[in-house]
Amino acid sequence: MTKRIGVPVFPGTNSEDETVRLLNDCGGDAELVHWSQAQRLAGYDAYVLSGGFAYEDRIRAGAIAAHDRMMDFVIEGAARGKLVLGICNGAQILLEAGLVPGTGGVRKPTAAFTRNAPEPHFVCRHVYMKLAMDPSRCAITRALEPGALVPAWAANAEGRLAADDAHLREIVAGEHLAFVYAAADGSVDDAAVPNGSALRCAGLVNRTGNVLAIMPHPERDGWNFNHLDRSAGTDVLEPSGGAVLFRSFVAAVSS
Amino acid sequence: MSGTRAVAVSLKIPDNAAYTALVALRRLGVSAERVERSEIWTFEEDGGAAESLEARVEADETIFNPNKHRLTLLDQAAPRAGEVWIRRRDATTGGPAAVAWRLFGARGEPAGREVLAAAVERLLCNPAIETAIYSA
Repeated sequence: MTKRIGVPVFPGTNSEDETVRLLNDCGGDAELVHWSQAQRLAGYDAYVLSGGFAYEDRIRAGAIAAHDRMMDFVIEGAARGKLVLGICNGAQILLEAGLVPGTGGVRKPTAAFTRNAPEPHFVCRHVYMKLAMDPSRCAITRALEPGALVPAWAANAEGRLAADDAHLREIVAGEHLAFVYAAADGSVDDAAVPNGSALRCAGLVNRTGNVLAIMPHPERDGWNFNHLDRSAGTDVLEPSGGAVLFRSFVAAVSS
Repeated sequence: MSGTRAVAVSLKIPDNAAYTALVALRRLGVSAERVERSEIWTFEEDGGAAESLEARVEADETIFNPNKHRLTLLDQAAPRAGEVWIRRRDATTGGPAAVAWRLFGARGEPAGREVLAAAVERLLCNPAIETAIYSA
C-alpha cells in the first residue's frame, strides 16, 4: 500500500504547491490538507510543512501555527515515529512546537529560527546545505551521501538559529545539527552563511531522527528548469538539484 | 525631562495580531477578555530637545503612521498594570525595545500576574530568544 504524505496548509502558507509537486515527481504520494480539514491529517503516514507565513507570523514566526489543531496531529504522529520535514516557515513551526531540536518538550521551544543578523533583512540567496551528520542519524537523510550538498534557496528574514549557549551546546552534543551552510565546493565558512545562523546551522533534527527542520528551500531548486546548474540533463521537467533530499524523504516514507 | 523615556505605539485600526493572540490564548486556557498590543520604543533624554518627545516620534514615519497608529507617552519606562513586555534577547538587530501585551479581564480590569505569566509561558514568549518583563 502506498504511503501517503500530508502537506498541511495553514492560513498564510505559500509554498505548498511546489512542495507537493516535487514530492510526487520524486515518486511520493503527497497532497494538500487545509486547516479546515485538520482531522484528515491523522490518515497520513508522513508530513511536510512547507514555507510561507502561517498566520502572518503573528506574535512570532510559527508561534500561532504551532498551536493549531493541525499540529496536534503532526505532534502525535511524530511521537509515533512518523516522518516530518519542515521547510522554512515549516521549520520555524517545528521549533515553536518543540519537536526540533526537541530538548525542551512539546510546545516548549528551546531554540528558534529568528531574525537575521547582522542586518535584520529579508535574504533571497542561493545556498548549499551540507549534511553535517551521519546520513543514518535521520531517516529522512538516509539515502544521501555523507557530506552531501543540497542546493536550495534561502528566502527568509528570520532564518538565523538562535538559542542560549547551553542549548547550543546541547544541540551539538545531542547531534541535532543536521545541515550547515557551505560553499559550492563543500567548504564550510561564515561567508556561506546568509543570515548569521548560530553553528552555521541550516537544519536541525530531533533526538529520534524522524523530524527534520531546514530553513532553505530545496524545492525551489528542484527541477532542471529552475536550478542554477543546468548540466543535469536536457529535460527541463526532470527533478534535480534539491530534489535529492525529497527523493531521500520519499524513499524513507516508502520503506 | 531627562533619563530613559518610553512611548507605546499601538494600532488605532483593528489589531489582527492582538485578536489572534486573544483567540489563541483562550484556546490555551488563559482567561482574558481583551488583548492590546503595542510596540515600546525607548529614548534617552537629556532635557535639551526643543520639541517634545511625542512631537519627535510622531514626525518619524519609520515608527509612527498617523493614519493607523496611536502614541502613548508612558509615565515610566516599565510595563503598566496588566501588561507584560516581551523583549528580544539580542538587542542588536534593531526594532522596538519590546512588544507590550496588555490583557484585560471580563470587567475590563487589568489582568493579574498569574494570568500574564500563563500567557507568557504558553504563547507570548519564546525563552530561547526573548525575555518577559512584568510590571512591578
